[in-house]
Amino acid sequence: MSVRWPAVFFTKVPHQLALGWLALVVLAGLAGPALPLPYPPTTPDLLHIAAPPAWSGPGPLHYLGTDPTGRDVLAELLFGARQLLLLSLPAAVAATLLGALAGGAAGFWGNRGLAVPWAAVPATIAAAWWVAELPQRLILALSLFAISILLLKSNRWLSWRYSASASKATLFFPLDSLVLGSATLLSAVPRLVLVMALAAGPPLGTGGLLVLLLLVAWPDAARLVRAQMLRVRTQPFVEAARAAGLPAGRIWWRHALPHACRPLWAFAPLNVAGLIGLESTLAFLGIGLAPTASSWGRLLSTLPQEPTAWWLVAGPGLALLFTLLALQHLASWLSAKQHAEQLGPN
Amino acid sequence: MGFWWVFTRLGRALLTAWGIASAIFLTVHLLPASADEFTLGEPNELGSAASLRTSASRQAAQQALRHRLGLDEPVFYLTRTTGPPVRWQWHGRHNQYHHWLSLLLHGNLGYSYRTSQPVAALLGAALVYTTPLMALASTLATGLAIWLALGLVNSPTAPRRWQTVVRTLLTGIQALPLFSLSLALLLLLANRDLLNVLPADGMGADYPPLGSMAWVVSYGTHLVLPLLSLVLAVLPQLTLPLEAALRQELRADYASTARAKGLTSWQVAYRHALPNALLPLLTTFTGLLPTMVAGTVVVEVLFALPGMGRLLAGAAATHDYPLVIASVLLTAAARMLALLLADILYFWTDPRLRPS
Repeated sequence: MSVRWPAVFFTKVPHQLALGWLALVVLAGLAGPALPLPYPPTTPDLLHIAAPPAWSGPGPLHYLGTDPTGRDVLAELLFGARQLLLLSLPAAVAATLLGALAGGAAGFWGNRGLAVPWAAVPATIAAAWWVAELPQRLILALSLFAISILLLKSNRWLSWRYSASASKATLFFPLDSLVLGSATLLSAVPRLVLVMALAAGPPLGTGGLLVLLLLVAWPDAARLVRAQMLRVRTQPFVEAARAAGLPAGRIWWRHALPHACRPLWAFAPLNVAGLIGLESTLAFLGIGLAPTASSWGRLLSTLPQEPTAWWLVAGPGLALLFTLLALQHLASWLSAKQHAEQLGPN
Repeated sequence: MGFWWVFTRLGRALLTAWGIASAIFLTVHLLPASADEFTLGEPNELGSAASLRTSASRQAAQQALRHRLGLDEPVFYLTRTTGPPVRWQWHGRHNQYHHWLSLLLHGNLGYSYRTSQPVAALLGAALVYTTPLMALASTLATGLAIWLALGLVNSPTAPRRWQTVVRTLLTGIQALPLFSLSLALLLLLANRDLLNVLPADGMGADYPPLGSMAWVVSYGTHLVLPLLSLVLAVLPQLTLPLEAALRQELRADYASTARAKGLTSWQVAYRHALPNALLPLLTTFTGLLPTMVAGTVVVEVLFALPGMGRLLAGAAATHDYPLVIASVLLTAAARMLALLLADILYFWTDPRLRPS
């Protein structure tokens, strides 16, 4: 994405404008249901189908016109902003958090950093057996648990008896391969195709769609944080923390992760923008959401039924364009600010 | 670069494609409200199901249909029944996943739920439309991106006005999702009130037979708007990184040497800087494929082209799982092969990168 190539246009536009527009969208989304709208967004006004914007006349007016099913464009716009707040934004935040945790852990511990004693294997199987309610779960889980305790004891005894290093009897948990593998698997297919294929089943609610967007969005953040973590891991302050004898988990959480997550600040607005684009494309194609849900993409999708109705494109199209441009501007502003901070105060 | 390297990479690519297709197969089949009701509930799709009056005969017809589609079998080798008492059951080879996989290994992608035609035939017919579109769009976009980037870096002092305008436009286009771009084009160029120069109504029933001259002409005119949308959609993500790379190369010493021996700035950029600037961007160029695939879905739905993207969208809307899963498999395989191709191209063009 264009973090590093802000055009001249964007440096001229003050970022207050971008922030102001985003605040307006958030406000519209929050206040949508409380506003005294002449027409609710989901009830069609069958007397005015695909009516152009009207500013004078009898009765309550359609200030921005209606779509080919008679729904008020202004109300749809306001409730479409709500859709962004309920779907795209939470999905982007959750995906960024998940990506940061997974990518940070994968970069910090790698494939050979996280050593688990062999005794953990039967214990895990026992727990899984118990949770999944597989047959004879009482007997089998208990016996597996006993085996794990025996392994633990024998390991202690062996290391005491032969003073051999305990690392011989540990299993390296391939965290890095696991995270990278699942990220590769999820990005083997374009996002849109993956979401379409997974949404081919029974219709999803907002919650299902949220999970789906989270699933397709986390690999990008994870790759970014992992790459940064590989650099942070070798920094002197991490070595100093290790030398001071801090536990690895604490070093990861308190010292390494905050530094590895720094590029995420500039990436997060782009992630939100990408998910807004994906969400409106899905709504445009009519996938995933109920046909009555308000969305800017759904409003835009009604244009081919009334090819001359410019008011169907002007409102949602401009709202979408401004939102995405504002997010992009925010990203480039944050990245420039971060870059200046890294260079130091002088 | 040995044979084994290519072989293992190829194996990993196929494994990934199989993995994602299996994940989608199991997800859509195992979701709680089993989707065959949706397929069967829709009238006139599956013949007599809708015309049957009594609920008993309808149920019998649904049962027969489920049996014919193989949906009455268990989904996986091992299934778990919900509700107390929980029971696990081993089904052996008589399950939907095994049937799908064994058909796949025999080169059969299955049969569409909706039309009962072989999926491979449907995909083949759709690819006739999509492949030329994607190939043309990729070629055009690549050529245009190289040309634009060379033009954009060619400013000795301050950037010229057209360069600023082009850069602003590119950044704006990059922010927009493809469908809004296509809609804007549709509104501008295929509108009764404004310019009405291009057909946007799609390829209807009066379409000339495949392969004739009239087909080529009709296909060509119907292709202009989708092609324009796709090229515009991928142009910024090619041009802007290429421009940055070119700028960096032009600051290098060899560019100064070339300038000092009296070459024009165009020659320096084209002959000397471009090959070096293109090298790190090979991944970007082969990474066009996912954008193109997602783009064709939107563009073909909007402009009503009977291609792969519209097939996938229609299959997703009507819960035609064999078609959806075959499309995913095809897309994933193509993407993985493109990544492999990018790596091979890297090693071919830059011997320093070859694995020892």
